[in-house]
Amino acid sequence: MDDRNVAERAEHLSRRRARMLPVLAMLLLIQQGSFFTDHPGADRPVDQLKISAWLVLSAVILLALWTGGSWLQPKRVRELLNDEATQVHRTHAFRVAFLASMMGCIFLYFLTMFTRVETREAIHIILTIGLSAALISFGVSERRALRDHSGDG
Amino acid sequence: MAERLANRLKERRGALGLTQAELAQRVGVTRKTVNTVENGVFTPSTTLAIKLSRALGLTVEELFWIEN
Repeated sequence: MDDRNVAERAEHLSRRRARMLPVLAMLLLIQQGSFFTDHPGADRPVDQLKISAWLVLSAVILLALWTGGSWLQPKRVRELLNDEATQVHRTHAFRVAFLASMMGCIFLYFLTMFTRVETREAIHIILTIGLSAALISFGVSERRALRDHSGDG
Repeated sequence: MAERLANRLKERRGALGLTQAELAQRVGVTRKTVNTVENGVFTPSTTLAIKLSRALGLTVEELFWIEN
């Protein structure tokens, strides 16, 4: 793949990633919602499967955010997809995620004063808040940077 | 008063007849990064500032300056 093709491929994937990040956050939240609306104690095989799916999705998202993702792409495309501006956006996303997770912890602490919160529920909430915040923040930063393109080629 | 890093990236790039994509290719970043630096949205690292200056045939100080 020559330099021009590498750049074009990275540009295309960068746009697709910016579009997919908020969708992924929404998917995570919907999956989370089903855990709380249909939560009989995780003793049926189907519940175990749902929890496993949620855990796998969360772990993959976390790993992708941490490493930059696009593992199946050639090294040069991956490097471009994770260039300086993207790294700054990712770092900012982790800061936002940390703040959101800490606020989630504070909220849960107060919630336990009024109602019983299971450990698993608390873990679900904090992990989902953190990952969703990171995905949304990263997506917004990327979309803003792409939108500001003057488009001169 | 807040300080910001101003630049003449667009002006110099235009003078050399380069597109954002071509400049991005020369310095090994995406067009998005060149664009955000050009618009003052993103402050580049020293490494990228040096690469951009070299690619445009200027010194870092000629390409970037601090504005109040």
